[in-house]
Amino acid sequence: MASRFVYVTYIRTTPQKLWQALTRPEFTRQYWFGVTLDTTWKKGAPWQMVFEDGTVTDAGEIVEIKPRECLVIKWRHELSPELKAEGFTRCTFEIAKERSATRLTITHESPRNNSKTIAAVAGGWPMILSGLKTLLETGSPLGLRLPS
Amino acid sequence: MSSKFVYVTYIRTTPEKLWEALTKPEFTKRYFFGVTMDTDWKVGSPWRMVQADGKVTDAGEVLEAKPQQRLVLKWRNEFPELKPEGYTRCTFELTPQGDLTKLEVIHEADIDNSKTIVAISGGWPRILSNLKTFLETGEVLTFPGK
Repeated sequence: MASRFVYVTYIRTTPQKLWQALTRPEFTRQYWFGVTLDTTWKKGAPWQMVFEDGTVTDAGEIVEIKPRECLVIKWRHELSPELKAEGFTRCTFEIAKERSATRLTITHESPRNNSKTIAAVAGGWPMILSGLKTLLETGSPLGLRLPS
Repeated sequence: MSSKFVYVTYIRTTPEKLWEALTKPEFTKRYFFGVTMDTDWKVGSPWRMVQADGKVTDAGEVLEAKPQQRLVLKWRNEFPELKPEGYTRCTFELTPQGDLTKLEVIHEADIDNSKTIVAISGGWPRILSNLKTFLETGEVLTFPGK
């Protein structure tokens, strides 16, 4: 058995705007605990999650990228030695238009049983994705802080 | 082993408004595929989910009701293909967090690979996305089949 977290959210926006919000720092900084995703967004390119103070918490590589439709990231947590030792996980973003809404499905999985990385992201994703939805629908972020 | 669906969402609202939106027909009709929850929300009372055309899709009982905090429903889908699976349990937990309210929905069955839990796993993200949009903007999303 592997470990897996799945979250689906429907957002009143277009796939174009959702894609921008997922990839551009001026958006991610507003709803994603202040982070910037440092990458060129090309297949095979390195990918890093960088906090405002410059700390790199997660790193990996762009495995697949199809703007406005699909993004797959090879993803390893870097800060906690315990989570880093679990090695790489895989995070898939799928985007699809559904009438007035755009559906975003996040699947974050690890080949390991009872992965602590997946348990950790299972707490973070609902905060990040709730903030993303609110930002796109109302123009202002929720201001959720990273749990300490 | 059993079957379980968990969904957490953070909504810019108060536990009072969220509780009203979860329990009052004038709100559920807007974001919950047009349904009304037919119950008096007292512990032990029957509970039914009624569509706009009068059809009862799900039924059960209120197991716990602590306004603005926690609601637990005994819940059986009434369609012929899912009804034989028997009762599931659905728990709503509301927790204030600054100017937001965290809503956690846990819908679980005692049986393995429950088809009811698979079915509701498709429905809850739509309903709860719509609920969040409704409370934050006053509007709702539209979905196919609604």
